[in-house]
Amino acid sequence: MLTIDGKGPGVVALAGRLDAAESPRAQAALDAVHGIVNLDCTGLEYISSAGLGVLLKTQKRLLAANGKLRLTGVNRQLQDIFMYSGFDQILEIEPVR
Amino acid sequence: MSLRHHLHRLSIDDVELILAVTSKLAAPFDLTTMLAEVVEAAKHVLHAERGSVWLYDAATDEMVLRIATGIAPVRVPAGVGFLGACARERRILNIPDCYADERFNPEVDLASGYRTRCMLTLPLVDHKDAFVGAMQVLNKIDGVFDQKDESLAVVLAAQCAVAIQRTHMTEAAIEGEKLRHELETARRVQMSTLPAAMPMVAGYDFHGMSRPAEQTGGDTFDLAVIGQDVLVVLGDATGHGIAPALSVTQMQAMLRMAFRLGADLDTAFLATNNQLAETMADDRFITAFVGLLDTARHRVRFHSGGQAPILHFRAEAGACTRSNPTTFPLAAMPLKSLRPGAAFDLAPGDVLALLSDGIFEYCNAAYEQFGERRVEQVIAEHRGLPMAALASRLLTAVGEFADGAPQEDDITIVLVKREAAAHESFARTFDSLPALVAFTSAFFARHSVNRALLNTLDLALEELFTNMVKYSPGGAPQVDVDIATVAGGVEVVLTDYDVDFFDVTRVPDADVNLPIEQRRPGGLGLHLIRRMLDSLDYRYSEAERRSQTWFRMNAAESPGSGGATPREGPDAHD
Repeated sequence: MLTIDGKGPGVVALAGRLDAAESPRAQAALDAVHGIVNLDCTGLEYISSAGLGVLLKTQKRLLAANGKLRLTGVNRQLQDIFMYSGFDQILEIEPVR
Repeated sequence: MSLRHHLHRLSIDDVELILAVTSKLAAPFDLTTMLAEVVEAAKHVLHAERGSVWLYDAATDEMVLRIATGIAPVRVPAGVGFLGACARERRILNIPDCYADERFNPEVDLASGYRTRCMLTLPLVDHKDAFVGAMQVLNKIDGVFDQKDESLAVVLAAQCAVAIQRTHMTEAAIEGEKLRHELETARRVQMSTLPAAMPMVAGYDFHGMSRPAEQTGGDTFDLAVIGQDVLVVLGDATGHGIAPALSVTQMQAMLRMAFRLGADLDTAFLATNNQLAETMADDRFITAFVGLLDTARHRVRFHSGGQAPILHFRAEAGACTRSNPTTFPLAAMPLKSLRPGAAFDLAPGDVLALLSDGIFEYCNAAYEQFGERRVEQVIAEHRGLPMAALASRLLTAVGEFADGAPQEDDITIVLVKREAAAHESFARTFDSLPALVAFTSAFFARHSVNRALLNTLDLALEELFTNMVKYSPGGAPQVDVDIATVAGGVEVVLTDYDVDFFDVTRVPDADVNLPIEQRRPGGLGLHLIRRMLDSLDYRYSEAERRSQTWFRMNAAESPGSGGATPREGPDAHD
């Protein structure tokens, strides 16, 4: 189960599980954002390669228009996944405080 | 008559004589030598012809003449004659003319041919004020014994009593040391027969341990593969010391031998019982659980001779059921036949827990026992751990409960766990993902598996499953998933039918260092899970067109990372 919460201009909060079943919905939501986007991952517990695909596609689109994704509140396990997929090199990631 | 009263009348020479005797008696003598020394000293100091020291034998209420110069050992009833009077009155008797005294027993003279004229008889009293014997000094060379002789004799008698006591204590200490050595030997024999390695049987986790108390108790256990069965034994012989230690060792050896020779459960139990009944002391017995676990049918058949409780933790119920003994303890009496044994089945995740009294009856300072309820709580709480770790938890719990109270009895723990397992089929569609997550989550909860493993397990399962959905659309409608606990972790098998060969372990790693514009999402899933799992394996059957993807995760390696530790692939940084 994934919840996607547009908290205001340029801020989207993801919570729950970003897996293959939920990624079409997440993609649709992120297709609608522009500019520099803060992605609040505080409540995000799980991400699979399908979820990584959503972030990759979104980041590519935003970068082409001088925008970008900025991930905040990324938990330890997600940090591992971003590192082992090399996504820490293509996304701005702020670990959980 | 006090010692002090006599002492002030002694001359320096007398005191020196006494001190010389004292110093001699301080040497480590055996009793016979020591008594000979006392008699020689008495003769010398008191100018007497003969002397003797009688020891009181409380068991027979006799006075025993262990040594007397020239006279053979004699036993006389304790209450008669001068000795009897001396014992009753606890005071010195100075008899100037023995034959004129009606209490005199001339039989000793008759036996020896010696004629006793005058005699001093002194009580020997130990530090606990118990009468331990009497010293007699016979026939003063130049007359009769006077008051000064009495004084000297009293001092000598006091020295003699101390020396007797010291000798007794030394003998007891030597005996104790011998006993301690024998106990240690018995203990070594007892411990050396315990299995050094646990049986390795797929789908099972065995652990047995025994921690002896200071004094030898009589615990043993056995866990041994006998054909398709595993022999499970826990025994506890009554009492402490060498005998129980050796009895249980004997029982364990007999049982193992009987089963190795192909005896069935009833025969082995009966024969062992009858053999032990023949050889063990009448007041001794052994409580024992003797069981055979059929690891293919997951059935435990057993006899329990007085060993209880037999705890069966049932994963389904999350609680223990208890079985009672099937018969009375081994060696209690020979038997012609045996009542039928009992049996129960081990379902996935179930634990058979056998523990000796040393756990249940471990007392804290308030004399409260650890008890069954606490045992059951620990098992229920830590059922997801490997059995070796569960045994440690039990010991820790007992230790915390005892709070410094000493271990009075042997502690023995035998744990047998049928690993938890579950099977479910999932439709070949992304929509199955929530059901997969629910399946693993429920399994982790039911079997108390370390939840730190769950996300990584779900990731691996999702990546492998979605690959099957994406790349084998023509496969069977459903994919089978089997999950099982293994010691310290989890094992998962995905079985996919009607599919082509595709070895997930040989897919090249994704290049995770490309600039973003060259990145593609494909291949990332396998790349990730290969780094996060402890093992990943692929098997394919041409005949059935069946693929099986197998992976395993262990908790021990990932204390802080919230899952299996990511692994560095050889080309992760290429």
